[in-house]
Amino acid sequence: MTTEALARPMARPLRRISERSGLNTAAGHVLMVLLSIFCLFPVYWMLASSFRPANAMFETSLWPTTMSLDNYTQAVDAIPIARMLFNTLVFSALSTVFQLLTGILAAFAFARWKFPFDKLVYTAVALTWLVPFQVVMIPNYLLVAQMGLLDNIIALILPNLAAALAILLLAQAMRGFPKEVMEAARMDGARNWRILWEVLVPNLRGTIASLAILIFISTWNEYFWPLLLSRTAENSVVQIGIQMFMTAEGNQWGPLMAASTLASLPVLLIYIVLQRQVVQSFMKSGIR
Amino acid sequence: MFRTTILASLLALSAAVPVLAQTMAPTIDQPVTITFYNYNLATAGLGAEATQKLINEFMEANPNVTVEGIGYSSADASRIQADLAAGLPVDLVQTVFSDLDFSVNNFGAQALEDIAPTDEITAHMSGMHPNGTKLGVLNGKTYGLAYTFSTPVLFYNADLFRAAGLDPDAPPATWEAVKAAALAIEEKTDAEGFAGGITGVGAADWLFQGVVRSNNGEVISRDRTTLKFGEPEAIEAVTMLRDLYDAGVYENYDFAGALDGMASGHLGMYLQTSALQGSLVKGAEGNYELRSAAMPRFGEKPTRPNNSGSALTIHTTDPLKQRAAWELMKFLTSEHGYTIITSEIGYLPLRPAIVTDPNYLAGWIAEHPLVAPNLEQLDRLEPWDPMPGPNYRQITKTLMDAVEMAVFGGADVAATMADAQANAQALMP
Repeated sequence: MTTEALARPMARPLRRISERSGLNTAAGHVLMVLLSIFCLFPVYWMLASSFRPANAMFETSLWPTTMSLDNYTQAVDAIPIARMLFNTLVFSALSTVFQLLTGILAAFAFARWKFPFDKLVYTAVALTWLVPFQVVMIPNYLLVAQMGLLDNIIALILPNLAAALAILLLAQAMRGFPKEVMEAARMDGARNWRILWEVLVPNLRGTIASLAILIFISTWNEYFWPLLLSRTAENSVVQIGIQMFMTAEGNQWGPLMAASTLASLPVLLIYIVLQRQVVQSFMKSGIR
Repeated sequence: MFRTTILASLLALSAAVPVLAQTMAPTIDQPVTITFYNYNLATAGLGAEATQKLINEFMEANPNVTVEGIGYSSADASRIQADLAAGLPVDLVQTVFSDLDFSVNNFGAQALEDIAPTDEITAHMSGMHPNGTKLGVLNGKTYGLAYTFSTPVLFYNADLFRAAGLDPDAPPATWEAVKAAALAIEEKTDAEGFAGGITGVGAADWLFQGVVRSNNGEVISRDRTTLKFGEPEAIEAVTMLRDLYDAGVYENYDFAGALDGMASGHLGMYLQTSALQGSLVKGAEGNYELRSAAMPRFGEKPTRPNNSGSALTIHTTDPLKQRAAWELMKFLTSEHGYTIITSEIGYLPLRPAIVTDPNYLAGWIAEHPLVAPNLEQLDRLEPWDPMPGPNYRQITKTLMDAVEMAVFGGADVAATMADAQANAQALMP
């Protein structure tokens, strides 16, 4: 039996498999394109609506028949949107930095040492995740009021200095880190502080980056705490600014869409730059 | 002798009581700062601009008074609750009428009769529509002065009326006529017939109270001790709404859905507060002719519309702040105040004389005929009764959920309303 003879009967099934796989790939692509359109359409509609004048707001045409920048002008005039975006950025960035810092230190303690009641403390930290923010909102408010920090961006950040999610996620990642590497570092004379910052953290940068993105996005979208705490638009965040266009006298969709577009830009930018890490962060944390 | 002394003391005390009760300082003779919790200030709409304008004008005219406007969400008033718990000063509040009872019993709203001189109250209220001054009265005392308030108006699309072969100059005056017009619109156009703020996600009970009253029923007894929305008149009103839904002409929309449907020209008729007039006019401009009519009635029974909106309530116990808050309250509900509130936000003026006064609203009214039915309903205006006790929001929710189930959910109307009444009555104080 020649090689040719052997190859001949196999040629058809291989081609069939390859054809089937090609078809599957094409079907998969079509499905993904459809899903992408489904996901992107609301974003497109927000953008398109932000350019529609008030009397054309309810047009169903895909492309606005008349376009105007009035909604952006109105949004900028009605709320201090630049200041609100800056506040949101400071709020999100500082919350992210502090949650990572406290998370890394606490996680290292849980992962590195056995100490009395460590499991109990760890469980208590995990349980805080189950307490809705609304439950602690008023006590937190009273505390920051006593501290004289009402209508202050510091008060926005204070309850976000540490978070159970960061501690749990990082503790899990640190527990999975090879102990041999840490022991080798110890034998080379490194103490815990150096092991943490020069061995663990650089090696866990993927997890830390993912966590940072998660914290940043969730803080960016924070609504209830700033709603209660901020007394002036100048000291508030952009999510409150967007909601300000929904009034008892009707919703101002045009400026609302313009403000939403402006509010989405920084997060969209982060997503475009750090696309891979964003997807990974959502996969790792099990959030879809 | 002893008896005479006691009698003399009692007489002296009784004479002193009104003076003691009216705790307000006679004048503002030193700088004072008051807080004004206002839900319009928490928005970016015309309401915020007009409110800030009025506050600025007041501070300019009263240089000793600084008004710190604080926006809050009227949806839950959690900021007021949190600030009171934190010991922060809550001096003057724009209170939604449905929250008035809770505001009096939990937020320390003060009765005007207890803090302001009677002659000043009488002088300020002269010229106000008597039906309007009753809106903020609870247990015989005036806790709130109507500030931004309105009545239900039937907005309709005149172009759709013409397309359906209806006469836009003769809008439906009864619920039977609403049904007939809505059926014609549904049949002869692509549009939908009718929607109302009576039901739907986020609808408070203000409009429902008016509908039930217009059928000579009540949602709650006059003394606010017994719920009555499970009684025959209320059941008949809900059955009428169910009939509209079963006929396919009453759309089950939430607030935004119905408002946008009307603004976009896809809805024939919309019963809602006239405060939405500005939003509807913006949508209609260049697209269709928007008109308005009075709230529909049941057969020949005259309608008994009630108000939506808010009152101003004074909460401070500090005499100087009370005076400052009272002066601001008077300014906001003056001829000038109501002119701004009506022309720039869209609410009703409580002072009928300014409607025809060229110095105030005459010119604006001539240019905005949509407000006419709203003004006409002032003469039949009744208060939006606040539910009593700490469970007042749960009582309202129980009621509105039952209405929703009875109208749209296919549930038995009488049984659903009776059950809800029994459940809600258990929540009453």
